[in-house]
Amino acid sequence: MLVLLFILFGGLAIGCALAVVAQRNPLYSAISLVGVFISLACLYVMLAAPFIAAVQVIVYAGAIMVLVVFVIMLLNVEEEERGRRRLKFLVPMAVAMAAILIAEVAFILVTVQEFRVNPPAGVGLTHSIGTSLFTRYLLPFEITSILLLMAIVGAMTLARRGGLLSTSARVIPGVTTLPRSLVDPRATPDDLRPVEADSTDEAARLLGVTGLRDHSDRDE
Amino acid sequence: MDTAIDIVLKFVAISVVFVVVLLVVAYTVLAERRVLGFIQGRLGPNRVGYGGILQPFADLLKFILKEDIVPDKSTRFIYFLAPVIATMAALMTMIVYPFGPDTRIPFTSITIPLVVARLDIGLLYVLGITSIGVYGIMLAGWSSNNKYSLMGGLRSSAQMISYELALGLSLIGAILLAGTLDLFQVVEQQSGWHGLRWLIIFQPLGFIIYMISAIAETNRVPFDLPEAETELVAGFHTEYSAMKFALFFLAEYINMFTVAMLATTLFLGGWNVPFLDSIFARGTFLFGLVSAIGFLVKVVLILFFYIWLRGTLPRFRFDQLMNFGWKILLPLALINIFITATLIFLRVPGFS
Repeated sequence: MLVLLFILFGGLAIGCALAVVAQRNPLYSAISLVGVFISLACLYVMLAAPFIAAVQVIVYAGAIMVLVVFVIMLLNVEEEERGRRRLKFLVPMAVAMAAILIAEVAFILVTVQEFRVNPPAGVGLTHSIGTSLFTRYLLPFEITSILLLMAIVGAMTLARRGGLLSTSARVIPGVTTLPRSLVDPRATPDDLRPVEADSTDEAARLLGVTGLRDHSDRDE
Repeated sequence: MDTAIDIVLKFVAISVVFVVVLLVVAYTVLAERRVLGFIQGRLGPNRVGYGGILQPFADLLKFILKEDIVPDKSTRFIYFLAPVIATMAALMTMIVYPFGPDTRIPFTSITIPLVVARLDIGLLYVLGITSIGVYGIMLAGWSSNNKYSLMGGLRSSAQMISYELALGLSLIGAILLAGTLDLFQVVEQQSGWHGLRWLIIFQPLGFIIYMISAIAETNRVPFDLPEAETELVAGFHTEYSAMKFALFFLAEYINMFTVAMLATTLFLGGWNVPFLDSIFARGTFLFGLVSAIGFLVKVVLILFFYIWLRGTLPRFRFDQLMNFGWKILLPLALINIFITATLIFLRVPGFS
């Protein structure tokens, strides 16, 4: 019974993982990745680690992949053909990595004779994980939190660093006053000298900025 | 032999839960239409059967018999998959909610808890499956190849990600008090004081935050922006017709039902009926039956509250919705966790 379930979920995981790589459409790849995560969660449940399974589903399938799908939908990414040539140098790398992985699996299969593992009881349960996270592994846990905090602060600073005029911004006809930093990418963010113009093009010309309107007509 | 009985009992339990849930959901739809009718000074559907009692079945028949239209330029596979994901995710959470206490089946000596599965991670299971449900709506919006659907799907995913945080954090206070994620144990711990030691007494703020973010999670008024008909036609399910639309409809009402059950389980004492233990002995069949009915009554009251809100409140604007979620609910939920943890640390009576 357990073996059958293992074959089912393991096969699902491998199939979905292959689909992630093979699909042309990025959205299909993303959905296949969700399938991989859910199959892995099922495998965790079979390994008597329900807490890790739940976290796997909540964090990866439920949060991160939702954001990925969200971005794919928002940017309306089409099937990418051009990028394939640029990433060609990755092919030998991939072959090398696959060779290493297969070698590892072969090594384990050859050397390890006894596959039976007897984990201590309740190792994957909520209580035991909570206890060890907040006592024995408190420092690594805190360091991981700081890492995440750094990522958040980094994202904030990247998002708030003004400069480029957004493609959706328009100068409304009639004299409009804008802070220089909003339209001129080279201005310092606190440069508040105003620019007066009748249209976005005029503002760009006054500032000597070109290429601002390139994307603005491509409304989705 | 025991495992065989176990498996049969599980199947019976799943079937019973399934039928009860679908019946309650069907009649929630009817109740919503009738109650909204009365709020708006009209009658609502009252022709099919006595007082409209057969209306849900008439609706179902209509949905099945209608023509199923698939948009030409839709992404076929995902278009079909989306309502399936939505309904499946909604139905899968049913199994962890405790409907009643340990109960002896009449004429036998078998005692079973009135719950399909007792999981160590019950609450996390609910949160995980609920977060999968977002995909149904997102993929429906994307695969329909319709700009209104896409906008609805995007709005919905942004909204659900934002409010999921507040929802999860608002539950942590209750979990800190209960000390377990197993929903059955959470309810059992609330059976003190003759069945009145409900966690809402210790977690009023958590309960309010939960109720608000639960409405947002189920995409209902005043947070129904994913299907705001004045702006987006019908939002993510604009292109869905017949039974596929019915599945989305079903998923929405099942989700409503599950958030109401979670609120009852965590904050309103679950199946605990006040002073029932002085009438029937614990573990007897009648105790279990009345408890289960008590549970359903609480759930139905919360559902009524949601319908009442729908008849009362106008819709939010999208930026208001985001500001409210991130700048008010989320900090409040964090404060709630902080206060609860401090009180537990100081061993205030009731918080230990």
